[in-house]
Amino acid sequence: MQIIEEIKKNELVKNPSEIQKICLEKLKLNPLPNIKSELWRHSNKSKFLSFLDYSHTKKESKVNFPYDNASQNVIRFTIGENSSINLKEENYSIRKLKDSEIFDYIKKNISDFDQTDHWSDLLNHCLSSKNNILGLNISGNKIPPIEILSASSYNSFNAKTLILFFEKNCEANLLQINLGDKNSSLCQSTYLCLEENTSVNHGVVSYGKNKSNLLNSLNVIQKAKSEYSLSSLHFKFNYARFEIRINQLDGDAETNIKGIQITKNEDQIATYTKMQFNGPNGILEQINKSLADDKSHSVFEGAIVVPKIAQKTDASQLSRNLLLSKHAKIDTKPQLEIIADDVKCKHGATISQLNKEELFYMRSRGLTLEEASKLQLSSYFQEIISCIPVSKDRWDLLDKLLKEA
Amino acid sequence: MVSENLVKNVVTEPYKYGFVTEIETEKISKGINEDTIRLISEKKEEPEFLLNFRLNAFKKWQKMKEPCWADLGYKEIDYQDIIYYSAPKQKEKISSLDEVDPKLLETFDKLGIPLTEQKKLTNVAVDAVFDSVSIATTFRKELAEHGVIFCSISEAVKDHSDLIKKYLGSVVPSNDNYFAALNSAVFSDGSFVYIPKGVKCPMDLSSYFRINSGDSGQFERTLIIAEESSSVSYLEGCTAPMFDTNTLHAAVVELIALDDASIKYSTVQNWYAGNEEGVGGIFNFVTKRGKCLGKRSKISWSQVETGSAITWKYPSCILLGEESVGEFYSVALTNNLQQADTGTKMIHIGPKTKSTIVSKGISAGNSVNSYRGLVKMGSKAIGSRNYSQCDSMLIGDQAAANTFPYIQSQQPNSEIEHEASTCRISEDQLFYLQSRGIEFEEAVSMMVSGFCRDVFNQLPMEFAAEADKLLALKLEGSVG
Repeated sequence: MQIIEEIKKNELVKNPSEIQKICLEKLKLNPLPNIKSELWRHSNKSKFLSFLDYSHTKKESKVNFPYDNASQNVIRFTIGENSSINLKEENYSIRKLKDSEIFDYIKKNISDFDQTDHWSDLLNHCLSSKNNILGLNISGNKIPPIEILSASSYNSFNAKTLILFFEKNCEANLLQINLGDKNSSLCQSTYLCLEENTSVNHGVVSYGKNKSNLLNSLNVIQKAKSEYSLSSLHFKFNYARFEIRINQLDGDAETNIKGIQITKNEDQIATYTKMQFNGPNGILEQINKSLADDKSHSVFEGAIVVPKIAQKTDASQLSRNLLLSKHAKIDTKPQLEIIADDVKCKHGATISQLNKEELFYMRSRGLTLEEASKLQLSSYFQEIISCIPVSKDRWDLLDKLLKEA
Repeated sequence: MVSENLVKNVVTEPYKYGFVTEIETEKISKGINEDTIRLISEKKEEPEFLLNFRLNAFKKWQKMKEPCWADLGYKEIDYQDIIYYSAPKQKEKISSLDEVDPKLLETFDKLGIPLTEQKKLTNVAVDAVFDSVSIATTFRKELAEHGVIFCSISEAVKDHSDLIKKYLGSVVPSNDNYFAALNSAVFSDGSFVYIPKGVKCPMDLSSYFRINSGDSGQFERTLIIAEESSSVSYLEGCTAPMFDTNTLHAAVVELIALDDASIKYSTVQNWYAGNEEGVGGIFNFVTKRGKCLGKRSKISWSQVETGSAITWKYPSCILLGEESVGEFYSVALTNNLQQADTGTKMIHIGPKTKSTIVSKGISAGNSVNSYRGLVKMGSKAIGSRNYSQCDSMLIGDQAAANTFPYIQSQQPNSEIEHEASTCRISEDQLFYLQSRGIEFEEAVSMMVSGFCRDVFNQLPMEFAAEADKLLALKLEGSVG
């Protein structure tokens, strides 16, 4: 709660930048999100408070990528490490955004953020210092996979911001890794802007250690004829919240969202998505899977908003949940808000357990119950995880992590 | 291309139950306070426990806030500007239908509700409620032979006070929500049904609610108790005259099903919906809930919601008994500036409980039609199942259809499935039907009726025909 107290007293940041000033002003009156609002009512209060319980530090210990840079050619960035970036190759170029570009972009965005919908981003901008904002402009194709690491350090609260502009006709594979250290909180805000005709395959892998917390907010703007695929994996967090807001600015774009969240022990992981269609002929394909074990709590809320202008929208959303323990809890709420009449929209939700017949079949072939369950679970994960843009040698590590989880 | 005007014509139909009956009524003065409640209680010669129940509810209501979570926009209701009791003047207690004011009988006749003896051919017992009081209940003798009690709730308070004392407020407690608390404080009349052990009710029971005066609210209360191994089918219909003011209707319905009992509750709601500009119409805030107390008990809600300016209604089932079953079938049609936020709650508490939800929403004009439903599996609901399906149909590009399903599970040995879809009347299908010589209006009506078939199949015979006709009327315009 220290952070909240500091916001109230205006002591959070010494010499705040203009952006920090605007955000602090917006949060000052109500520094905490409205627990009664639909977006926050499932949040476990004590867990949420434990997320805010660490003091904000600017000093950060150096974090390494969880795996070596193997044979394959990849481009790596770590948010918070100050280095100049200017890559120019035959087919592509990646350059760091100028401070003024970042400033203009964030300022433009926060002007219409309100305290309920964008609390996470406002908090992030209050805390995120210039060093912890990474902005890149990416253009071209045949770009080697890009990996971006964001991490929190032991016993502290870290805020990191990532802004990526994808220029026209760009094709990119992007893997974003959020690492939570022991007893720490990470507040990550990401903005992606996809110009016309771009195609971005975005993977988000977030995992923590003992008692790590994560507030992960992702804002995507898609222009016409762009294609955006998101595959995300969240696990091992005491408290994690993943907010996805995607806006198809002029319609005529394609969005694919695949996500999985795994909760064990007393974890709480929540995913909130809001898909806004602001033009005709938009396509959305979304599947969110969750698995809740022990005394954990898993939440999914997905909204699809189709205003009058978004005719011929084709959207589908599916929430599939596995409840493995009688002390665990799952809340899911897929949601449709439709005004346009010539649209195809559907959603579905299921909550069930492991398929008994399949387990029986595998056991009758000599597998133990544990092996059979693991096998079934891995096939459940596979549909999502196989879409994350991760190369083979790293894949094994991910697999190992999942087995531990 | 289907021209927009054509569709517009199709979705407008004047409200034909909008007449006012000129009859002398007894009204109390506007506003609500403890004295109003005492006065209502006194007029109804109620025992003390009921007065206390009312006063308690009023105290709780005063501390509550009007809920604002629903997706509804309406001008603030002034609760002091409502008459809480209005009744047609009657000189003495009526012993037979012949003594009922012929004007009243005429009103119900006009509405198509047969109260007079020669018209009671349809084998449906009717309890007719006019503003705040019950006018008449038909077939009472025949029902009494089977031990079935079917009367107005005011009579039940006098004659069966033990049952009222035991069950009133046991499903919807007086502090359940804002409107239920208001109803508990000022409820005037409604129906009471008691089906004794082992009795299958020999005929359908029905109540008909009519709001006549423009400045009084209607607060009826219905209580249905089905003892072990009994069954009953109950129908409910509603209409109101056209006024350019909004009238408040806040009802509470409680159902109790014991071991092996089954209750089927069907509603065709056709309150006045306001005019095209959204002036007038009924604000319909209703709390309906059934408790499956016994093993293998079953409660089934089916509703056709076509009227009201605002509908706020979530008929629910609390599935307590082992292997109990809850069902919800709904068609909600909104047009012009109507707003409907309706759905259900299925709370699975007992093991092996099952529930089915089928909801069809049709929105036309500038209306908003939302489905809001909760399915909850408690930690003891081992082996329970739920299946929900909610489909929306949009007519015209100004209407909104929303779906808000809330799904919560705490029991791994249970299964929940939910699906929802949105569609519109497709031009291909219209073209096909028209090319086969079917008129445009008829084709639209056929498609709407096909869309709602899953729900209509669940309605009792009398209602299914009425509902189909009603939807066709609402959608078909003046074309016959």
